[in-house]
Amino acid sequence: MLLENMSMAFAAIRVNKMRSFLTMLGIIIGIGSVISIVSIGDTMRSLFADLYKDVGVTQAYFCIGYWVDDVRQSDYFTLDELERVRDVFGDQIDYIDSNAYASGEAITKEVSVNFNFQGIDYNYIDVQPVDMVYGRYLNEGDILGRKKNVVMDVDSARLLYGEENVVGRTFRTSLYGYVDEFTVVGVYKKEMSPFQKLMMGGQSDKGSAFVPYTLLTWPNDYFYYLHVYASEDVDLDAFFQQLKEYVANYKGREPEDIYMETAMQQMNSVDSVMGGLSAAVGGIAAISLLVGGIGIMNIMLVSVTERTREIGIRKSLGAKTRDILVQFLTESAILSACGGIIGITIGVGLVSILGMAFGIGVVIKPGVVIVAVSFSAVVGIFFGLYPASKAAKADPIDALRYE
Amino acid sequence: MAEELIRLKDLVKIYDTGAIKVLGLKRINMTIYRGEFVAIMGKSGSGKSTLMNILGCLDRPSMGHYYLDGIDVASMTSNELSEIRNKKIGFVFQSFNLISRTSALKNVELPMTYAKVGKKVRRDRALKLLDRVGLLARADHMPNEMSGGQRQRVAIARALANEPPLILADEPTGNLDTAASEEIMGLFAELHREGATVVVVTHEENIAEFTERIIRFQDGQIISDIRRGEGQ
Repeated sequence: MLLENMSMAFAAIRVNKMRSFLTMLGIIIGIGSVISIVSIGDTMRSLFADLYKDVGVTQAYFCIGYWVDDVRQSDYFTLDELERVRDVFGDQIDYIDSNAYASGEAITKEVSVNFNFQGIDYNYIDVQPVDMVYGRYLNEGDILGRKKNVVMDVDSARLLYGEENVVGRTFRTSLYGYVDEFTVVGVYKKEMSPFQKLMMGGQSDKGSAFVPYTLLTWPNDYFYYLHVYASEDVDLDAFFQQLKEYVANYKGREPEDIYMETAMQQMNSVDSVMGGLSAAVGGIAAISLLVGGIGIMNIMLVSVTERTREIGIRKSLGAKTRDILVQFLTESAILSACGGIIGITIGVGLVSILGMAFGIGVVIKPGVVIVAVSFSAVVGIFFGLYPASKAAKADPIDALRYE
Repeated sequence: MAEELIRLKDLVKIYDTGAIKVLGLKRINMTIYRGEFVAIMGKSGSGKSTLMNILGCLDRPSMGHYYLDGIDVASMTSNELSEIRNKKIGFVFQSFNLISRTSALKNVELPMTYAKVGKKVRRDRALKLLDRVGLLARADHMPNEMSGGQRQRVAIARALANEPPLILADEPTGNLDTAASEEIMGLFAELHREGATVVVVTHEENIAEFTERIIRFQDGQIISDIRRGEGQ
């Protein structure tokens, strides 16, 4: 009987092709936009997750809380203290530095270019891998000896010198007031996705370079931050809590006086904002599904009226209330489900095309597709219910007499 | 005579139009036996359509009893009546009432679909019935591709689908020309000879001539009930 109803429904839909299509259009647009919006949101979330993974999700910063009034000299970190933290926590820490940044004008005989300098330790390459194309990375000697050596990426090299192999070339800049000469010891290249470039390397008129973090000490060999990459196999929350307590204890402070920020926290908050955003926009798109459903109800009501006589004939031949109800419900459910399937195809297609255009791997969760299809079928059944029950209740004599 | 198929006992139908109540049928008592070929005649407003609706289980009497094939159907629910219509009655209407854009075969299969007959049995039986009314070659034609006489023959095939004890025809020739009318009435006569019980509602004397018993209605009452050729 179900098959019978389905073939009847398909026949009825075929008879009014144009009308059926227009009716489905509401559902097609609704499902299509829900799928594409939610998928775009999911894709963005996964892009940000990748971005954080690349930047390092195991990172954390510690410093004296900005809310603490009586900040003392001892609240800052020294190079010795960084060493001590490294010794105490050993394998649990992959990398540690002072998170020091500076900016200044790099001046050669020909040009002067704004540069960002990041103070790093020699093993920063372990947590932020780059491909060295010319020369070498900073080494332990550079760090301990506070050598005025830098490593820069190929783009910055081209910006400053007009070529890539610039090992041994020099430039002048001032960090904290003194003008000094710096030597390029290495040039690296970092592969980035188009999205990463968009998010990170936006300033093409500005160069960037790594310098020994021992050069960027302020004030007088004190650092404001403790910057740590935890090892990947530690329990991050527990470890950072432990580290925070250690730092507090060491500095003679309470743990709540220490400000801690982890990449994980940031990532989660970005993720939840993005998730909320895509749910909200998806919800708005879902309203169009409601509109589509009302369209189906409208057309089913017209169809029921048009087919009053057919309903009368069917009843005279022995169709029960339920038979008629199921017949019309099947029709509206199929109408809606077809719309849903077309909508999914269009939504998935659109997102995939966008993804290809931007060179991004798109995320389309099967759950979203399943929910969308079920929702469209539910819309069809819900909005088909009233017209179908109207049809089912028709009096056979009146229905047979209907012209 | 043979066993009773239809028995009406003190059957009354009142139409309640709100302000006034109209008496459609006034205490009808009537019996139709299995195997009879009966014409119910009367002018419009005589109550014959009302009777037709009640006999066809499309409507319920206000009072009294209607025994069809031994079952009192007067107080059944609409779903129970659907079942009775499906199993006990084969309808033939004035305007054919085939389902449009649906092949003759599918139309004939429809009552069997509602009786939940298996697909293959349904199809075989529908083809046999179309063959019986001489339209096997038209099985896949749509109603609008057929003449009135052909459509009515499809409707008769459909009426026979569940082998109902009663064939009920409401002005079956009302939309047909003389030749087609005679053809259709000839078919009913044939069915009657094969043992079917056929009740035809009509206002045309020449159509009633085909039958063996004419029940005349006027103002909601039977005014005459004549068997022709009784005892022949």
